[in-house]
Amino acid sequence: MEKSDRIFSIICMGLSFWLILESLNYKIIKGYTPGPAFLPFWTGVILFIFAIALMMETFSKKKGREKGKKDQILPPRPSLYRLGYIMLITAGFAVVMNFLGFTITTVLYVMTILFFLEGFNPVKSIIAGLAFGFCFFLIFLYWMEVSLPIGFWGF
Amino acid sequence: MDYIQGLMDGFVTILSPFNLWMATLGCFFGTMVGILPGLGPTATIAILLPLVFEMEPIPALVMMSSIYYGAKYGGSTTSILINLPGEGASVVTCFDGYQMARQGRAGSALGISAIGSFVGGILGTFGLIFTAIPLARYTLKFGPAEFFSLILMGMLTIVFVGGKSIKKSLMSGLIGFGLGAVGTDVVEGAPRFVYGINQLRDGLSFILVCMGVFGVGEVLVSAEERMKTTSIKVKFKDLWPTIDDVIVSKWAMLRGTVIGFFIGALPGTGSTIASFISYGVEKGVSKEPERFGKGAIEGVAGPETANNASTSGAMVPLLALGIPGSGATAIMLGALIMFGLKPGPLLFATSADIVWALIACMFVSNVILLIMNLPMIPLFAASLRVSYSYMYPIILLVCIIGAYTLHMFVLDAFIMLLFGVFGYLMKKADIPGAPMVIALILGPMMEYSLYQALALSQGDVTTFITRPISATLLAISAVMTVAVSFKIVRMKRKMVEEEEN
Repeated sequence: MEKSDRIFSIICMGLSFWLILESLNYKIIKGYTPGPAFLPFWTGVILFIFAIALMMETFSKKKGREKGKKDQILPPRPSLYRLGYIMLITAGFAVVMNFLGFTITTVLYVMTILFFLEGFNPVKSIIAGLAFGFCFFLIFLYWMEVSLPIGFWGF
Repeated sequence: MDYIQGLMDGFVTILSPFNLWMATLGCFFGTMVGILPGLGPTATIAILLPLVFEMEPIPALVMMSSIYYGAKYGGSTTSILINLPGEGASVVTCFDGYQMARQGRAGSALGISAIGSFVGGILGTFGLIFTAIPLARYTLKFGPAEFFSLILMGMLTIVFVGGKSIKKSLMSGLIGFGLGAVGTDVVEGAPRFVYGINQLRDGLSFILVCMGVFGVGEVLVSAEERMKTTSIKVKFKDLWPTIDDVIVSKWAMLRGTVIGFFIGALPGTGSTIASFISYGVEKGVSKEPERFGKGAIEGVAGPETANNASTSGAMVPLLALGIPGSGATAIMLGALIMFGLKPGPLLFATSADIVWALIACMFVSNVILLIMNLPMIPLFAASLRVSYSYMYPIILLVCIIGAYTLHMFVLDAFIMLLFGVFGYLMKKADIPGAPMVIALILGPMMEYSLYQALALSQGDVTTFITRPISATLLAISAVMTVAVSFKIVRMKRKMVEEEEN
């Protein structure tokens, strides 16, 4: 866990610098009450102190790891790429939804995930995509009347 | 007595066809999602939150509390059938529940789990009524100084008790405080950390953070590997525990109720600790402790009862004080605020009808779950055989819908996905997400209380220690901090001595 703790410490240090520096644009004390910068400034200071403490702890711990065993935060590359593609496709769904409409985009989204990432055959992917698109249309657009983008085709 | 009148009014509201339907749907969806390995009640509520956006407050709260209870039930099903806990509190159920399933007693395990959960839920809700209301009345004496001290104490409890590493829990909470600073400042009403993005003027939406960290993050962890599970098959006729099973388990259920309720009422402790303590107690009082770990039914009954009773316990600080003690109650707090309600002592005065409806719903949900879950266990068990490849796109779609429909901005969906990645990395690095989410909600409240307290006292900081209640709460916080620090120092000294030896 030392590697992940160090990375987390560095991220927290960066975050604390951001909080402290940005807080200097506002007043820390205003009259006799805390100003807009009070909470973020002191949050940044305390966060920085603990980030340093966590970083020091990772160096002072005796390395009791088994030989050959890596301190791995992230999964192996194939899994990492897989997660990256999932996030990319999902982000793409959010963008394309506004143009093609919610239902059509849902169908395409499910088909893409199942075919390209999960290795399903094209027929199964298309059937699943259409089924999910229909179910989501029924539940969210028809039954719950949730305001979602409607495409050229009216759904 | 106004308790009875309030409860009767609550039942009148809940027993309308629409609210009953919402409760049933909530129980069903909660169980179905809660059954998925890795998705506990917090993630379940976060994922299903979009379903309630367009609803009125009462049906929405009915559905959310039903989802909460349903997810608790669902978590134990996976523990028993596939030895994979659906959430932290169901870990203990694996020890004996799975062994019972392997011995052909899956039905008894599932049945006693459902009955124990029912007993814990019902008795726990009675405990909620007789604890939360007097506590809320007492809390009416609280001023801004007391609220500041209370929130500080609550946050410290969550940090010290809630995670494996106190340092990481504290840092997670501080990140939450930092994120809570984004938006319009409570002092001057000026934008703070918004960088000209108008959508950030109202602050970072806790809904986006919750759905991201608990929903998307958990899904990414589960989707990382193509999950394959094989579950033990259960036939409908084998579902019911025997009378002997129920008799043997009765004291375990009663003890579990007491343990679960009181542990659940403490912020930060939650159902995981309650279930472990219950298991330890059952093993300790048993005349045959060697049976535990090999299929002892008390090892299922006690922890499952404690698990459900802790849900009712967790509602005490939420409703009476406005302090969420866990990620799940933090989401419920946020949802209450979203519907224009202010949890805390005034909630019982200004929105008594909603509170009593919520309490009545807790009774009704437990009944619905008992009636629904036992016959539907084969269906729920069959759902475990559905490939996760179908599940996670659905969950992600629901999360995107929820994020988008908040303000009809695509930016919200991206913020949620960003927090999803953040939540995934936090999970991999063993950093608890609950303190961050709770601090995101409580941070602005704490800042406002501090501002009000100092404004009222004209800058006199001794107001926090001269007011007795505030002083008491700060003293408790100080004692907790000192006790935990001593414990850490002692542990480190022991480690150094062991290294020297």
